[in-house]
Order: sequence, then C-alpha cells, then structure tokens
Amino acid sequence: MRFDEFLAAGAADPGGRRSPAGPRVLSVSDVTRTIRDVVRSVPTLADVWVEGEVGSVSVSAAGHAFLTLRDDRTQLRAVIFRDVRLSLPFEPMTGHRIVAHGRIDLYEQQGAYQLYVDAIQPAGFGDLAIRFEQLKARLAAEGLFEVARKRPLPRWPQRIGVVTSPTGAVLHDIVKVLGRRWPLVTLVLSPTLVQGPGAPAAIVEALTRIGRWRDPADGQGVDLVIVARGGGSLEDLWSFNDEAVVRAIASHPQPTIVGVGHETDTTLAEFAADVRAATPSVAAELAVPSRDEQAREIAILARRLAGAASAQVAAGAAALDAQRRSLDGYRPALVVAHERERAGALLDRGAAAIALRLAEARREATAEGTRLWAAAGPVLAERASMLAAARASLEALGPLATLQRGYAIVRGGDGHVLTDPTAAPAGSPLRIRLAGGSLDARSEGVRDSRP
Amino acid sequence: MMRAADPTPAAGLPRANDDVATLTFDAALAALRDVVERLEAGGLPLEESVDCYERGVALHERCAALLEQAELRLRRLAETTGSGVAVAVPFEDEDDRG
Repeated sequence: MRFDEFLAAGAADPGGRRSPAGPRVLSVSDVTRTIRDVVRSVPTLADVWVEGEVGSVSVSAAGHAFLTLRDDRTQLRAVIFRDVRLSLPFEPMTGHRIVAHGRIDLYEQQGAYQLYVDAIQPAGFGDLAIRFEQLKARLAAEGLFEVARKRPLPRWPQRIGVVTSPTGAVLHDIVKVLGRRWPLVTLVLSPTLVQGPGAPAAIVEALTRIGRWRDPADGQGVDLVIVARGGGSLEDLWSFNDEAVVRAIASHPQPTIVGVGHETDTTLAEFAADVRAATPSVAAELAVPSRDEQAREIAILARRLAGAASAQVAAGAAALDAQRRSLDGYRPALVVAHERERAGALLDRGAAAIALRLAEARREATAEGTRLWAAAGPVLAERASMLAAARASLEALGPLATLQRGYAIVRGGDGHVLTDPTAAPAGSPLRIRLAGGSLDARSEGVRDSRP
Repeated sequence: MMRAADPTPAAGLPRANDDVATLTFDAALAALRDVVERLEAGGLPLEESVDCYERGVALHERCAALLEQAELRLRRLAETTGSGVAVAVPFEDEDDRG
C-alpha cells in the first residue's frame, strides 16, 4: 500500500487505525528533546573519558573536526570545535588510538548523540607516564640526577657546543643570544634530529661527536654543550626521556646545559644536565658572561688605574720636594729662599697642569666610560715628561748654582747624598759632584762625627 | 730606562706590551686587575709606575676592543667519510644574513 493510498483508506474508515484519543502523539522534536533531557540528566555523560580508535575524520570549512571513535563493536560520533581543535597537542587521524574527554549531547537537527570533545590524549598515555616514573626512579637510584654530580659551568668558555636541529628557530635564538651577550666565543653546532623515532639515537650520536671534537688550531674541545629543543607536545619531547639520551647527557665529558621549551613536566634529560634552562635562549644566556657587566667591570678598573697613577705621580712630586729640601741645607738661606721660590713656582705650575689633566681625565672616565683610555695614555706620558722637566729645572736652578761657588755634593756608593760621615767608613766608594763634573773617590775613614 | 724623559712618549705603546694583543678577554682582565692592584699598592719608582700604567691602558684597550669588536664565529660539525672523525666547517645562520 502506498502512503497516499493509505491516507485515502484511512480517511474512508474513521474507526480504523487512526490514533486513539488517549495516547498523545509526539512530534519528532518532542522525542528528540526528551532524549536530550534524559541524556543531559546523567552526570557521567556530562564528563566522560572515552577510549577508542579514530575512524573517519573530516574537517569543515569553518575548521571544526567531525570524526568517529570506534571499538570492535560500535562507534560514537564526535565533534571537535575549531578553537578546541587548535589547542590540541596533536591532530587526531584515522587509526590513532586516543582517549577523548568531553560531554555527550544531542545534535538535535540530526537526532544524533555525539561526544563534544574538549581534550584528547594518545591512548596508552597512562602506560607512558608509568614508564617515565619507573625510568626516573631507576636512574635516580643510580645517582644520575644527584646534585653532587653537577659540574659548574666554565666562567670563560671559548667554544660552545650546541646539539640541536640545524634548521628552525632554536639554533637561531641561540645564535642571537650569544651574538648579543658574549660574541667572544665560537659556536660549534652538532646537528641532530630532535623528534621522531630516530631522534634518540641521533641525539646520542651528536653528543658523542661534539664530545670528541677537537679544534685543530689548538687541540682543545668545546668548553660546554647546550642541548636544546623548542617547545612541543609530550610526544615531541619524548626523545628527552629516552634512557640512552639521558645517560649520554649525564656522562658527557663537558658540562651540559639542557634547554627544552615546554609547559609539560620536566624531561629526564633536564634532570641529568649540569644546568637546566627553561628555554634554548635561557640556556645560551647561562652559558656565557654578560658583555655589559664586563664592560662595567673594566670601566671601574680603568678609573682605579687612573686614580692610582695620579697618586703615584703625587708621591713622586713629594719625593722631589724632599730631595730639594735636603740640598737646601748646603746653601745660604737667602739664596735658598730665592731659588725655592722660582723652582717652586715652576713645580707648582707643572703640578697644577697635571692636576688639571687628571681632573679632565676623571671627568672623561665618568662621562665616557670605556672610551676614555685611548685619550688618557698620552695625557699620562705628557704629565710624566712635565715632571721630569720640572726636576731637571730644579736641579739646574738649585745645586748647580751652588756648586759654582765651590760647594760639592758627596754621594755614597748607593747614590744617596751623604750627610753623616759614619755612613762612609774607610774604603767606602764616594762620588763627588762639583760644578764642572764628578769625581770618583774613596773614604779614608771618619774624621769626626757629631752625634 | 728614562722613558718619562723620552721626547716622543706618545708615539706608541712600548714594545713590551705587544703580547697584550694576543690575550683572551679573561687573561687580559686578570692582568689588568693585577696591574691596578700593584699600582694602588704604591711604592713603585716613577718609571715603573709609568710602565705599569701604560700596560694597564694597553690591557684595558684589549678588553674593550674584544667586547666591542668580537663577532660570534659559527662552526658546524660535518663528518669526514670513513674515519668517523667530525670536522667543523663554517656556516652562517641563514636568518641573520642581510
């Protein structure tokens, strides 16, 4: 019977199969809504973990993914909205075994119940976590992660080994940080895969190669090694939990820094490293001194150098003054006073010029920091020659003038001016300075001495 | 020895400081610190003070030049066939070019 025939027949027979007056007829929407309410009233369906294999997957133009989860008997429709999908650690593909979290609800238009996914993990994740904990406990029991094993990083590395992918942002970040912070090093890249099935073996090999490498120029190896990888999912980072990798890092001949950018748990490789860095860039920061700090350090030393040098010159001037006064003792007071005035003026002028230059140099030091010193070299040389000139003038002015009148200056064997006869017992060599030149002489003995 | 009286003292740093040009930063820094401390301790004859100072200036210039002019050198290990010994060859960080 066709539908239209049925309708015609029914219309002809009011007492036939028409609905009885009692039971209510529901619309499709009514039924669907009722089922929806039932589904929504079951708490376990509102917060459920479902494990299954991904069947078909399609992604709509809007970016939502529609997939089926199945086991050997049945299947469940699931939807992953775009924003959720983009935040997932991996893209579910046909054949993946996954554990999905979400709520069961009804898609009323199609009268279909489905899982609205908000999180997924690879199935067997639990096994992985257990394996991780077991390996961690075993290696910890061996002492691999002991703080006492950690080696300090060299303060002044010359060569830094980097074990990472030769392509991508990680190497670039490390190059950038080292170039900015401390470009006085050579970076030696030991390229490796950092993810995928071959990665653990590749990382171990790259570590071995950098550990053995020697610079032909001087036979030295690298001073430390950075092992780095960018952020990624738990699966991506799994190489850094591989036992062989962890052991290779722990037993590496040079100190190691491991920098893996991630938000999940710390990898075992990081536990085994001498130093652990939050990201590859931080690893590079930790590997070298700071150029700014060292520039400040040498600027401070430069200022101390200038200060000490000026103090030395001042001490030299004082010594000269003392020597002059010791000569004064041989000369008539009036002459001395006169000469002292002239010599003093000359010396004062030199000292004033020196002080001025020093003050300038200090101002420059403060203002210009490290650039001062090219300028300061000649300043000191000039200052020193002024002092020498002052000394020469003083000598010409003082003793020589006095010697012209018949005085002599007697020096002992050590060159010191003699004032006490007992300092020159019989046999002592003497040098006698006269106006016209010097005599070598020898003491015949002390005639008398005033106590 | 009377360098202070030399009429052309500014002509250049004394030859005695030529070794400074080959020092690493840390070696030059340590030497600079040593010179400063010796000079600060005092008691040196004038000539020696000048030598000390000039060496200090040379060491400082070496340190400053290293900080200002150093460029990061990049090497990449490439395995030589057969022997298994890695040799380092220069490379450039692609993104830093240009």
